[in-house]
Amino acid sequence: MTRRTSLASKWDAYICRPFPLLVRLSMNRIFHGSNGGEEELNISMGLLLALLAIPGGFASLLLFDKYGSFLQWLRGQTKFDPLAAALPDEYFFIVLSMVVTGGVALWWWDSIFPDRRDFVNLVPLPIATSRIFLANSIAIVILTGLCVIDVNAASSVLFPASVGGAQPAFRFAMQFAGVHALVVTLASVFSFLAVFASTGLLLLLLPYALFRRISPYVRTLIATMLLAALSTSFTVPSMILDLPRFSHSPLRFLPPVWFLGFCQLLRGRADPSLAKLGYLAIFALAVVAALALIAYAVSYQRCFVRLLELADAPPGHLGLRMSWIFSLFDLLILRTPFQRAGYRFVLKTLSRNEAHALAAGGFLGVGMVIASRTLFSAFNGKGLTPLPSADVLSIPLILSYCLVVGIRFVFDVPAHLQANWIFRLLLERSIDESAALARRVVLCFAVPGIVLVAFPIYLHYWGWTVSLVHLGVMMIWLMLLTEVLLVGFRKLPFTCTYPLFQHSAVIVAMAYVFGYFAFTAITSELELEALSRPVRGMVFLVISLCVWYVVHRVRKSFVEVRECLLFEDTPAAAFECLHLSDGGC
Amino acid sequence: MLQAIELTKHYASIPAVQKVTFQLEGGQILGCLGPNGSGKSTTVKMITGLLEPSRGRVLFRGEDIRRDLVSYRKRLGYVPEEPNLYPYLSGREYLEMVGILRGIPQPKLGKKVDTLLALLSLYPSRHSAMASYSKGMRQRVLLIAALLDDPELLILDEPLSGLDVSSALVLKNLIRALGEQGKAVFYCSHVLEVVEQVCSHLLILRQGAVLVCGSTGDIQKRIGHSSLERTFHHLVDDVDPGQVTRDIIDVIRAA
Repeated sequence: MTRRTSLASKWDAYICRPFPLLVRLSMNRIFHGSNGGEEELNISMGLLLALLAIPGGFASLLLFDKYGSFLQWLRGQTKFDPLAAALPDEYFFIVLSMVVTGGVALWWWDSIFPDRRDFVNLVPLPIATSRIFLANSIAIVILTGLCVIDVNAASSVLFPASVGGAQPAFRFAMQFAGVHALVVTLASVFSFLAVFASTGLLLLLLPYALFRRISPYVRTLIATMLLAALSTSFTVPSMILDLPRFSHSPLRFLPPVWFLGFCQLLRGRADPSLAKLGYLAIFALAVVAALALIAYAVSYQRCFVRLLELADAPPGHLGLRMSWIFSLFDLLILRTPFQRAGYRFVLKTLSRNEAHALAAGGFLGVGMVIASRTLFSAFNGKGLTPLPSADVLSIPLILSYCLVVGIRFVFDVPAHLQANWIFRLLLERSIDESAALARRVVLCFAVPGIVLVAFPIYLHYWGWTVSLVHLGVMMIWLMLLTEVLLVGFRKLPFTCTYPLFQHSAVIVAMAYVFGYFAFTAITSELELEALSRPVRGMVFLVISLCVWYVVHRVRKSFVEVRECLLFEDTPAAAFECLHLSDGGC
Repeated sequence: MLQAIELTKHYASIPAVQKVTFQLEGGQILGCLGPNGSGKSTTVKMITGLLEPSRGRVLFRGEDIRRDLVSYRKRLGYVPEEPNLYPYLSGREYLEMVGILRGIPQPKLGKKVDTLLALLSLYPSRHSAMASYSKGMRQRVLLIAALLDDPELLILDEPLSGLDVSSALVLKNLIRALGEQGKAVFYCSHVLEVVEQVCSHLLILRQGAVLVCGSTGDIQKRIGHSSLERTFHHLVDDVDPGQVTRDIIDVIRAA
């Protein structure tokens, strides 16, 4: 007991020394973000670790069914090769570990390097810059290690247990676990370092102001690539088996395939093509590590030392190119001062605020991944048909759904909350035009894509009738979706605190998923039916319009009942005073 | 023009402001003084309508401001204590947005904004994001935003904070000129010299309550000190600044 106490007191004394304090400071900044403002979504370390561990653990548990010997016997699988059967699952776990770790690195993108606040607080103190650099590097290594271990811990225990559980030799399970743990750990490290190296290289190659400007787009692109890897993780393994026959397959360029090759190499199951990719994995890991290290060191020297000279502001003059669009919209669609001022504010926040651009871009990225998969499966080995298939019809619907839901989601994310006093001061809180403004913003983002991109494509391939009907259906359903999403919306976007977690949040999330299927799959099937029979087509359009009108009226009546603009999402009162003695008023 | 009647604000049963009563007429410049935590900011927030009083009322031209906050705010210009602005907007974009929200017609608005930006030396950086502005530049943007719609009542909370010497001189003259034009100005500050130079009336708060309220000359005559600094020290300060200074130096020198 005494020994333990003395160790604890030694540790307490150690972490209060200058260098460990610097490391802790860097870890806090990386973890909680650079701004640390009240609008940052602050998650505790414990909660984050729990969230990161869930996917691997959950996916492993689902596999007990596949590898259980009793269930195999029931299925009549007498000759079961566990290593061959585990290949697709191994690929999935590699992708999962890369996606989760890459996602975390993307989240920490802005705080990997010390920021202006660190500079102002630390540089005047008698601490060498090299020590600040070293402390930050150690913080990155600690957090990366923690993240990698956490992401892969559950799958490293449960997956080998499910595969090796039915095998007579314990050695098999141990070997399997060792190889799996090593491969997923290296894959995670590769993913983290790849994102890290991208930040460092961009910072190194581009002027700082340009780096700040393009950062959200690069992050969105990387996030889309990670999502694409995850969404194809069930189809790629079957193609990997064909690798020996197609040596020039594009699969050779996928990093998860390299690590699968490395895994097979360690298990002695790799054919020459996979073995080659396995060696490539180790080579790529070494290259990425070296790149990350060099880029980090050089960009640290280049940027941190000159941090006060580098403005965080976007370069050049703002808003000059867009002013004619606002004048045009003022004439055509923006009727009141609230709508005119609000529209300018919303558009500028969406285009200039990194977190918002990133979140909206993420939703659009998901849409693009799903749409490209749908397009691929729709045209896989098939030519053009007189009528487009339901899959083909659903593509603009998928993109519109993800874009609209993304923008609606982003509206709830606050931007510089402390600056919202101007709206609190000037806006008439009893008149609620927020839904009208939000609807205009959403439609201004989605409609040009439908009219200027989707419509000409359908016109080119399927003629006027199909393209016009499709345009009509898309517009009606887009308006319907917008109306549904804006029921109860009483905010000026970005000016309200984060919505509180409500018990209905899980149901809302499920509604979004079901809404996706209703909006994309069911609508496109109904539309296909309508296209093949014109009378039904007319009925379908009329019913769609009626549904839109009903939802529109419901939303209007909701506004009339609760008309007050919100700046703070406060919890509902546990008790409500009915004021019966005052006549209920 | 503006009347605060027994304004009281409690934060979770802790009183921040208690029964603050004062009156501000057109042409008067009322300086609000008080040590940190005396309730100045809470009072300002209540008279701008940003904060609802726990008790008491604010009347503007005899009408409770809560009855029609929008028309009250239409006639109010406000410069808050902290220059909290949207850093990704340019100064011109921000002012244009404020002008639109105030209902100023577009062609007139653009011209007015540009002229005011030029007069307050912000024209060259009007299209730059406010993230790159200094504190003084942000303060000048806030000042333009407050003056844009020719308000009858001006509430200024530490408006000189961060301003350079020439901008501060311009602002002091401007406040006096606005007073002469018949506008009511509520001026909150810690800088006693400026309050002495600019304000015709004084409101001194301490621990959330009014310590003294009236014309600057009357108060000084009553207390018997010629300078505002001595008057303020006489009314508010419990500590001897000379003794505190000596104590601090002793602590710094201690091994």
